[in-house]
Amino acid sequence: MTITVIIDKEKHALEIHENMNIKEVLDKMDISSQTVVVKRNNEVVIEEEILEDGDIIEVIRVIYGG
Amino acid sequence: MNICTKCGATPVIISRKASGQMLCKECFIQSITDKVMKGIRRNKLIEKGDKVAVALSGGKDSVIVLDILNSLYKRNVIDLIAIIIDEGIEGYREHGIQIAVKNAQRMGIKHRVASIKDYFGKTLDEIMADDRREHGACTYCGVFRRWIINKIAREEGATKIATGHNLDDETQAILMNYLEGNIDNLTRIGAKSEPKSDKFTVKIKPLREIPEKEVGLYAVASELDVHFDECPYSQESFRGEVGRFIKELSVNHPTIMYSTLKGFDKIKPALKKEFAEKKVGIGTCIKCGEPASHEMCRACLFSKKIHQKE
Ligand SMILES: [Zn+2]
Ligand SMILES: [Zn+2]
Repeated sequence: MTITVIIDKEKHALEIHENMNIKEVLDKMDISSQTVVVKRNNEVVIEEEILEDGDIIEVIRVIYGG
Repeated sequence: MNICTKCGATPVIISRKASGQMLCKECFIQSITDKVMKGIRRNKLIEKGDKVAVALSGGKDSVIVLDILNSLYKRNVIDLIAIIIDEGIEGYREHGIQIAVKNAQRMGIKHRVASIKDYFGKTLDEIMADDRREHGACTYCGVFRRWIINKIAREEGATKIATGHNLDDETQAILMNYLEGNIDNLTRIGAKSEPKSDKFTVKIKPLREIPEKEVGLYAVASELDVHFDECPYSQESFRGEVGRFIKELSVNHPTIMYSTLKGFDKIKPALKKEFAEKKVGIGTCIKCGEPASHEMCRACLFSKKIHQKE
């Protein structure tokens, strides 16, 4: 399935497996979940949240040097 | 679906691994505010009637300090002013300053913008462009910024200066100074400074017990307008390495930063007793009149060097 990831003001389409959660998607993108806040379809979500096809994920970097 | 462990609402925006707590947006924001206020009382950071100067950068940490202290300001417990420093970093600082000013205006808090160039004749960019310079950007920036903030705080009659240091910053400083054997610096880490001179205003760190990630979450969740960009001068440093190390440890040991801080606060009185440099009478800078332990203060020494001709 495909989700849309918005990060650093850029949009990417990302192919992911079924039942992947936010943390796993961040790992896949090599982003530490310790340094970002993630919104799904405009709402802040926790990293255990499972993604669904067509979700729009916004990754907000809140910590640098981390 | 996960529900808020405090009020039962959905959705939750944080899962605190250390405590098993899951919180909805409202309960999370309330929990941070409560924790900050509790820390302020426990450490006696602020008393009724204080005038607090917030060193406001427009970044998440200082904006949240202003946001939380604003509740005391609105209730007439304290007076507030924001001090905004323009370091002179092109393409980066303008946006942060704009956001800082907007936040102060939105809360109806008086603010002053002061630039390093106005006080010391050069922007940080201009200082960094000179190959003869002896220090990194963060050293010049820190020394000049502290000098200006201290001066303005005194002019404004502020009784406290509040900074945005969070739990990550504080544990980083503890670990870094410990690892480097810098014991004298260790003795000065704390929620509240103990100035060597009456001309230095007491500095307080209201966010000292809040993890940086939660500060970021607070900013996003409460839709505060903050500047999340990275300073172009932040470079690889030992501090950064130590910071990454603790953050990585925190993934599997979510209480590690708290325990580092708590343990440090416990041994600090003993450290101070044994190792704090004896208070040598602090003098006055011959150039600017600010407190100095040598003939000239560090800001004036730096200022002299950056203007030296070949
Ligand atoms: Zn709740
Ligand atoms: Zn001086």
